[in-house]
Amino acid sequence: MYQHDGEDIFVIDGHVHLWDATEENIIHDGGEQFIQCFYDYHTTFTPAERQWSMDEYREYGAERMIDDLFSTAAVDMAIFQPTYLTDFYDEGFNTTEQNAELADEYPDRFVLNGSFDPRDADPGIEYLEELHETYDIPGVKLYTAEWRGDSKGWRLDDEDAFRFLEKCADLGIDTVHVHKGPTIRPLNRDAFDVKDVDDAASSFPDLNFVVEHVGLPRLDDFCWIAAQEPNVYGGLAVAAPFAQNRPGKFSEILSELLWWLGEDRVLFGSDYAIWNPDWLVEAVLEAELTQEDRTEYGVEWDVETKKKVMGENAAELYDIDIEAKRRAFRDDQITDRFDLGEHYAGEESATADD
Amino acid sequence: MTADRSDGPTRAAVRDRLDRVTDPELDRSIVDLEYIDAIEIDGERASVAFTLPTAWCSPAFAWMMAVDARDAVESLPSIETAWITLCEHMHDDEINRGVNERLSFGAAFPDADGDIEAVRAELDEKARVARQYDAVETLLDAGLGAGVLVELRPRDLDGIDLARAVDDQPTATEAEADPVDGLSIYVRDRSFAVTVPAEPIERYLEKARETGLVSEPDEILFRTPEGDPIDAESFDLVHRRGRLARVNMSSQGGICDGLRESRDGRREEAADD
Repeated sequence: MYQHDGEDIFVIDGHVHLWDATEENIIHDGGEQFIQCFYDYHTTFTPAERQWSMDEYREYGAERMIDDLFSTAAVDMAIFQPTYLTDFYDEGFNTTEQNAELADEYPDRFVLNGSFDPRDADPGIEYLEELHETYDIPGVKLYTAEWRGDSKGWRLDDEDAFRFLEKCADLGIDTVHVHKGPTIRPLNRDAFDVKDVDDAASSFPDLNFVVEHVGLPRLDDFCWIAAQEPNVYGGLAVAAPFAQNRPGKFSEILSELLWWLGEDRVLFGSDYAIWNPDWLVEAVLEAELTQEDRTEYGVEWDVETKKKVMGENAAELYDIDIEAKRRAFRDDQITDRFDLGEHYAGEESATADD
Repeated sequence: MTADRSDGPTRAAVRDRLDRVTDPELDRSIVDLEYIDAIEIDGERASVAFTLPTAWCSPAFAWMMAVDARDAVESLPSIETAWITLCEHMHDDEINRGVNERLSFGAAFPDADGDIEAVRAELDEKARVARQYDAVETLLDAGLGAGVLVELRPRDLDGIDLARAVDDQPTATEAEADPVDGLSIYVRDRSFAVTVPAEPIERYLEKARETGLVSEPDEILFRTPEGDPIDAESFDLVHRRGRLARVNMSSQGGICDGLRESRDGRREEAADD
C-alpha cells in the first residue's frame, strides 16, 4: 500500500513484463533495434540516478523484478502483459509461459495475461484454448504491429481477428489489452492506428478493451473512440513518466483523459522494465494538474480519482477484491521478505459502496 | 560580408525557406525544432544537413521532411540544386539516396507497404484541426460566439488575400517589410468588424487550403475533424476535439524533445571520451 496524503492507496501496476533481450536470444536485427529503442525511452524519462545500464536492461531476471516491483510497497499487484515478438527473439521477448513462472510462484501478486495472433489461424485458436486451460488467463495483450514473416502487422477489426475475439468471449477471457503506442522502429507505424479498436469494441460489447499507452501519438483518435464506446479504457503506460520530467504535459494529457473517459476508465501501468514503478508511482501520485487545466477541463486529480486510476479500476476489470487482498498481504511471502507488514496493517477503509 | 549580397543565395534565405518546412507529426518548423545542423552554399548549390530527435523516428516522417526541405530550398530562384543529408538515422542511406536522386518513397523503400501520401494527408488533417483550435481561440477571445464562428467564410476576413496566399506566401523577409499583424473580421452581414491577431487565422487557412477544405472565398471556414460544417449546438464538442489534437501533438513533441535531449547527452559524452 502506498501512503499518500494520509491515505492508503492500493496500487495495481497494469502493465509489466519479464523480458529477455540478451544477444543470444536475438535472431533478427529488429530484435536489437527494438530493445535499443526501449532503452532510449528508458533513459529519456528515468531520473539520471535511477537509470539502468544496457546490460542490466537486456536481462534483469525474476529476482530483480520482484525487488523492483514490491520491495518499497509502491506496487501491491501487477498484471503481466506478454509481448511475443517471436520473429525477433529466439525464445520470444516476453511470453505467457515465461511470465507464468513468477505468476505461479506469487499467484496473489500477479495477474497473468495471455496473447493471440490471428495470423496463426487454427493453431492460434488451439493455443488460445491451451492458455485458457493451463493458466486460466483473464485477459490478453495484443501487439497488432508485430512482424510475422512478410506481414508487418494486422488489424483488430479484420475477420480473422474477430474469430479470435469471439473465442475470447466464449472462454470468458474478457479483457483485451492492445498496444497502441509511440512509433517503435522497426515496427510499422500504421499498425498502431487506433481506429481498428472502434469496430472491435462495438462488435464485442461484453469484452473490455484497454488501449495501452492511451494511443499516444494518437491520443485524439483514441479519446474520440473511447468517448463513444463505454467498454474502451486507457492504459497510462508511457504517458505516466511525463509526470516526472514534463509535468505540464502530464497535466494536459491526464486532464484530457479524465474529461473524455472519466475517472473510471483510466488505468495506471508502469510498463516495467521500461520504467520502474518504485519511482514512477510516486511521481504520478505527487503530480498536480495545473490551475489552468483544472479550470479549463473541470477535472480533479484528487485522492479519490487517484485511488481509482492507481488500482480500483483495474480491480474492477479483473474481479480483484482489494480488501481481501489487503488482508492476505499482511503476511504473505512478499510482505515477509521485504518486511512490509505495516503497509497492510492499517484500518480497513470503509467500503460503503460495496 | 559577401554572404548578404542580394543577388546571390544567402544562408539566411535558405534558412527562411527551411523555416516553412514542418515536422509533419508536430506541425512545428524544423528550424524552430533545431533539427538543422548545417547549411552550406557553393555557387547555386545549397547543402543542408539535419538530425532528428531519434534514429528511430518514423522513416516516413523523415522522408517527408527531407523532400520538403529539398523542394523548399530549390524554390529559391538563386538555388539550382539542394543537397539534403539526414544524419544518424536508421534509414539515412535509403533516405539520402532517395531524396537526392529524386526517387519515390516506394522506390527508396521497396519493402514498404506503399507510398506515404495517405500518411501525409492524415497528418495534415490533424495539423489543420489543431490550427483550427488556435484560430477559434483567438476569435473567441475577441468576443465572437459559436453562432458567428460556424458561419464564417474567407470573404469575411479583411486583410487575407486568399488567391495570393495559395500560390505565393510571403517569405519572412517580405512579411517583415509588409507586416500584417492584425486582420478585421466582418460579421452579421458586414454590419460590424472585430480586429484580431492575423497569425493563427493565417496558419489555419494555410492548412485548410492544403487539405483542400477551403479554397473559395465563400466556403465555410471552420469544420469538424471530418471536414464538415459545424452545427452550432456541437460547436463546443468540435472545439474540444481541436484541443485534443493539439494536446496530442504537443505530447508527442514532449517525447521527441526528451529523446533528443537523451541523444544529445549521449553524443556529448561520446565526444568527451
